[in-house]
Amino acid sequence: MRLEKCWFCSSTIYPGHGIQFVRNDAKIFRFCRSKCHKNFKMKRNPRKVKWTKAYRRLHGKDMTQDSTFEFERKRNRPERYDRNIAENTLKAIKKIDKIRSDRAYDHIKNRLKTGKIQRQKQARKQLEQDIHLVKAPLALAQDSSLHLPKITVNVSQTWTEENQPMEE
Amino acid sequence: MGGLGNNFCNLPSTSSEMTCGSFLSQQQRTFIQMRTVLKVVDNSGAKKVMCIQALKGKKGARLGDTIIASVKEAMPNGKVKKGKVVYGVVVRAAMQRGRCDGSEVKFDDNAVVLVDKQGQPIGTRVFGPVPHELRQKKHVKILTLAGHIA
Repeated sequence: MRLEKCWFCSSTIYPGHGIQFVRNDAKIFRFCRSKCHKNFKMKRNPRKVKWTKAYRRLHGKDMTQDSTFEFERKRNRPERYDRNIAENTLKAIKKIDKIRSDRAYDHIKNRLKTGKIQRQKQARKQLEQDIHLVKAPLALAQDSSLHLPKITVNVSQTWTEENQPMEE
Repeated sequence: MGGLGNNFCNLPSTSSEMTCGSFLSQQQRTFIQMRTVLKVVDNSGAKKVMCIQALKGKKGARLGDTIIASVKEAMPNGKVKKGKVVYGVVVRAAMQRGRCDGSEVKFDDNAVVLVDKQGQPIGTRVFGPVPHELRQKKHVKILTLAGHIA
């Protein structure tokens, strides 16, 4: 059993899923689902279709080079079964997966950092300019911070049995 | 990493129309039945055959089945001549066939290899990829002649 990669979106194809198309030049295209298959039949280039891994890697949205990718290289030599090796491999897979997803997450976070800082700056500027819309100038004169003053409301009516409306 | 390694220059990139593409992609592929023209992919001399009967199967033949066919087009000097009635084994079918692991395979066209009544291929070479469903159908000779096994 081998877990393949979809030709179009690069996701893993588990056993029992997908369609395999063999072209007459003996090149095999595997698809994870009919969405990818139909896009292929439409002759779309995966490098131009925004939601595929090919596009994301090409345009620097996702991590491209990392040492954790070396572990997933395709190996054609079958290994002799050894219980210890199999056990250690399973443990390693979990750990490597976690490391890889953490690194990918950091990569995306770094990429989005500049946008976040820019948005915060814009928000601060807007607050300074338009604070008069929400805060009375008298209150602003008293404390010139950009927070709204705290208002305490006294509730006169107590919640008693008689005051409750009749429930239908 | 299948997406990165793919060389898209094999397929022609069309600048055109979604309409033409959506029309083509809705083609429903079905069985190989009477009057289906198939390509011959061995060197027996025939080029195109027309199926006249699918042995086994009420709706038609699929990948790996045998058919009776009539030779419609042949090379001038070959083992089979035009108009001859021959047996053939379907080695490529555009209709998808389920594999035992749950996935499906399909090929680009419909192709046969001509065989005799016993199931031995008439030609000596087979062109293009063949599926390994033929092993289960006991067409081992064709598999040995084949260049690629899908």
